Amino acid sequence: MRGSFGYTEKGEEGRVNDFGLWRRILTYCRRYKIPLAVAVLLSFVVTFCSLMLPRIMQEGIDGYMAQSHLEISARILGLQHLAVVYGVLVCCIFLTNFVQIVLLEWIGQSVMHKLRKQLFDHLVHLDLAFFNEHRAGQLVTRLTNDIQNMHEMFTSVMVTLFNDALKLVGIFCLLYLMNARLALLMTLFVPLAFFITRQFAHYARKVFRQIRSQLAKINSFLAEALQAIDIIQLFGRHDWAEKTYTDLTDEYLQRNLKQVSIFGFFMPLTELMSSGAVALILWYGGGEVLRSRLSLGELVAFLSYMRLFFQPLRELSQKYSIVQSAMASAERIFHLLDTKSHLHFPVWKQAVALDGDVNFSGIVFGYSASKLVFNGLDLHIKKGESVALVGSTGAGKTTLIQLLARFYDPHAGNITLNDVDIRTIPLPILRQTVGLIMQDIFILPGTVQENIILDQPLDKEKLDRILQQTGLEVFIGRLSNGLQTQIGEGFSELSVGEKQLLSFVRALYRDPVILVLDEATASIDTESENLLEEAVAAGFSNKTSLIIAHRLSTVRRVDRIVVMDQGRIVEQGSHEELMSTDSLYSNLVTLDLKNSMK
Amino acid sequence: MMRFKEQNNDPQGTTHEGQSSIREALGIITPLFLRHKKRLLAGFIAVIVVDLLQLIIPRFIKQGVDSLAQEGATEHSLFILAVTIFIAACIVAGFRFFWRYLLIGFSRILEKSVRDQLFRHILAMDQQFFGRWTTGDLIAHSSNDLNAIQMACGMGLVAASDAVFMSVAAICFMVAISGELTLYALFPMPFLALSTKYLSGHLHRRFNKVQEQFSQLTEFARNTIVSIRLIKAYTLEKLQNKQFDQLGREYVRSNLRVALIQGTMFPTATFVGNIGMLLVLYKGGTMVVNQQISLGDFVAFTTYLSLLIWPIMAVGWVTNVAQRGLTSLQRIQRLLSEQPKVKCQPQADLPEADQITFHCRNLSFTYPGEARQVLENVTLDITPGILGITGRTGSGKSTLCKVLLRMYPVGDGMLNLNEIDVNDLDIKYVRNHIAYVAQEPILFSHSISENITFGRQDATDEDVYKAARAAAIHEDILRLPGGYDAVIGERGVKLSGGQRQRLALARALLCDRPMLVIDDGLNAIDVETEQQVLLGIHSAFQNKTVVIVSHRVNVLETADCIVVMENGKIAAQGTHDELLAQPLYKVMVSKQQNNAR
Repeated sequence: MRGSFGYTEKGEEGRVNDFGLWRRILTYCRRYKIPLAVAVLLSFVVTFCSLMLPRIMQEGIDGYMAQSHLEISARILGLQHLAVVYGVLVCCIFLTNFVQIVLLEWIGQSVMHKLRKQLFDHLVHLDLAFFNEHRAGQLVTRLTNDIQNMHEMFTSVMVTLFNDALKLVGIFCLLYLMNARLALLMTLFVPLAFFITRQFAHYARKVFRQIRSQLAKINSFLAEALQAIDIIQLFGRHDWAEKTYTDLTDEYLQRNLKQVSIFGFFMPLTELMSSGAVALILWYGGGEVLRSRLSLGELVAFLSYMRLFFQPLRELSQKYSIVQSAMASAERIFHLLDTKSHLHFPVWKQAVALDGDVNFSGIVFGYSASKLVFNGLDLHIKKGESVALVGSTGAGKTTLIQLLARFYDPHAGNITLNDVDIRTIPLPILRQTVGLIMQDIFILPGTVQENIILDQPLDKEKLDRILQQTGLEVFIGRLSNGLQTQIGEGFSELSVGEKQLLSFVRALYRDPVILVLDEATASIDTESENLLEEAVAAGFSNKTSLIIAHRLSTVRRVDRIVVMDQGRIVEQGSHEELMSTDSLYSNLVTLDLKNSMK
Repeated sequence: MMRFKEQNNDPQGTTHEGQSSIREALGIITPLFLRHKKRLLAGFIAVIVVDLLQLIIPRFIKQGVDSLAQEGATEHSLFILAVTIFIAACIVAGFRFFWRYLLIGFSRILEKSVRDQLFRHILAMDQQFFGRWTTGDLIAHSSNDLNAIQMACGMGLVAASDAVFMSVAAICFMVAISGELTLYALFPMPFLALSTKYLSGHLHRRFNKVQEQFSQLTEFARNTIVSIRLIKAYTLEKLQNKQFDQLGREYVRSNLRVALIQGTMFPTATFVGNIGMLLVLYKGGTMVVNQQISLGDFVAFTTYLSLLIWPIMAVGWVTNVAQRGLTSLQRIQRLLSEQPKVKCQPQADLPEADQITFHCRNLSFTYPGEARQVLENVTLDITPGILGITGRTGSGKSTLCKVLLRMYPVGDGMLNLNEIDVNDLDIKYVRNHIAYVAQEPILFSHSISENITFGRQDATDEDVYKAARAAAIHEDILRLPGGYDAVIGERGVKLSGGQRQRLALARALLCDRPMLVIDDGLNAIDVETEQQVLLGIHSAFQNKTVVIVSHRVNVLETADCIVVMENGKIAAQGTHDELLAQPLYKVMVSKQQNNAR
């Protein structure tokens, strides 16, 4: 009943006969061998019981109702016995059905949960180069829709595969035992039914995909329009928005109507086939009765088996397409799991104390092989030194920082922290040592305090000290519940400036040896910024700091200013040194201060 | 759904109210029903034809079986019967297509129409409305609620009419064979309807929960992937893993709760149907033995009984679908009945103004539902020239801009535009005179040129380039792959914060309106381009009214007059030089300029 045609990506169909893939899928089920065996066993029970029901009905007709020469009381007694057996079977079907459905759902969900967890864990440990190459949406799809697809196969398909296939085989056996020629006639319907349903699944899947993508378009336009509602209203573009929207919904309507037509055409076909089969049986089977090669009860049983016959046939061929899309999903998931990170993750046998002496030497790096950002860059930052990186967009300031935090490894050259190559430092330790404060902020749903301490242990004293030093008590005091204020989606929104303050506290709480600020103060008002800088200057005078800022006023206090241009260091020195010469920096500062309106 | 049920059980007074709101809710869709009444009528006729033929087919089978039992059948008569059955089945298939196309198609048309109506309504709402209804809410309304309505008006309506007709007819046929046997056969059926109603209600709720958790899971994964840099920087991988595991577990649990219901619901239908069969086997068999009915009657009877199972299940399902549809419709109705609070009583048509002057007289403003006044007795003249506004975060700068733009309501006499109270002006009139650059540059995932021409589509390429040059973004655009045709967004080019702001500025400059409001929309622009941008604004807006909110002294210095705001009030006002004595401003200036001295 859920999205019964599976999620597919354009142009992809899984290979159902890929045994390597099957083997890999099955390794995930190894733990559930026994429950799976039970589920299969239950399939046999359900199938046996449901096939027995018409048989009993036939027995009732042939053995008792039509036997007018027997004594009435004996006939009624016989019927009573049959009714009791019938009742027991009915209860049996109910129970086994229930247990089977729940059991398979449990197995499927558990296996998929394991797979999903493994995939997520694998993903977050991949390097940034990987994330640059893949769109977020695609990766999310692997974690959600693709897994869901496989789950669909596990539960509904497994059930129907067992139950329906068994049922079909059972029905055939019974029919052949009763009357081979009539049964042979019925066999003709199998390829026909299979063909029709496969065609249906093909068209239905295609139109479903079209509908889904159109709905996605509608919703993303709606989201965009709602986000930009001010702009639409202020620029007076209601008509445009309405027109765009109705065009989208028009297309959606057309695609839905197409789906209605496809369903309208194919759905009655199965019913038609079943009626056709009934007509055929009545004609041919009736003839057989006339020729006394078939009893009347057998004919009636034949007719009622017909009802049982077409439904599993339809389900089976429909489920085939789910298996196909699940296999495609499995292939994509395993492909992702097999992607290795370009970075290797060292483990320390023995801890090494790191202090803030940073050395970049001979760095060669580019996001793509054809376009290098750095070609042999050297920069040494002494312990306790504060350095500002200055330069226009594209100069490579942020890239340099990302190399230091080891989001990427340079193609050549190396980066060391007091002579320890950062590639030999375990990542968690490296990233705790390098406290990175970035322009964009990540808020986890939770309290302010939880957002500050994250995975660190709570040290209230340290937290209070940091808040006091940075003057952020004021900011916390403004919040309705102080540190315990809930933030994140659905709760109070922090302003951009407040979020930046928060990320400051967050970084400081982790006791970094090297503090790195990437445009971290753009939205903080001057007063708070002042406070922060004083705090950083006071509390971090002994720590190394690396600052990127657009506003030149904020970098004046640093020990050394490094001016970068297109991946090269063009000049460096203190503010005074650089200002005393005709440097690029002094030009920038003059530009900053020049008041053209005066 | 539950709420609706309670309303029905409520005492007299409230029931009346509930019903009237149901009537209003139905008022949204009745015109559509009337407009498509021919289509609907044809559809229902098709449903009835299908049902009738479906009931007649078992009669033919009965006839065949009976004739065989009474040994009156011949090969030829059986052949005729078979052909008749097949033809009837073909007609059924044809009419099935028709009702699907007519009725389900209608529900899709209805869905589109309500969806469009909803969007049109939302477009006309003001900021207070968007404070009450989040984007998520509105998207949920336009997907879930519309789904429920479409379901109720499509499959729900079909199933309802089908169920009523089928069950009545099937029961009639059954009664014609034997009234007593019919009673026996129908005995378990009410139980099926009740259990379906109960279970499908639960199923729906639990299934919704599953979907909600699925989207939570999706959202969590998306958030993690989008902010992977931060997660790595703070080594949050473990924490994220743990949370993802937690969400996954909850998702599994909810799915199992759905499975419990599914595992009960469908087997129950089979079970009840089979129990009916069992009763027929026993009782009907006895009647055949006692020669009260013929063997053919018995077989036909079992066929009718199997025909009944689906309509009876449908009764339970349809009540749920209808209730859900109605509740959704009421929610949509509530949304549609919202009116914008910004007063708008346009008087006579005013000619376009060349110059804009705003007079704020004791302007006060409080956000709805909050106690604190964000603006308190602000008295300010905004005249042609550049007005700079500065002040701490939360001092009311943005709110002032938004009030000027008529995004929030103001009291009478507090705000005059060119000597006319804004409450007496058409909102569109006010807005048509103001170009606006927001704090967060919001762009559409369209091409660059489409974004720039957003406020003025008739602009020539030359105009666009001119605006882009004035906003110092022209060179940047030319460097992008695709230039002005480059598409912005996840699938297209990514722009830096400063570039986005300059693009938003170009969009505003192109409008060429007599007033420009920049709500801290220049803060991400770097030093080299800032001067160019300011020059551009200055040349484009000579003799026009410009309001710039900013923290930067460089920007403020260019203003003719600067207002310093504090706690919703004007703390100081004057030129840059005059304000150097003001404490707050002084700190700011000395801080930002100390590297010059």
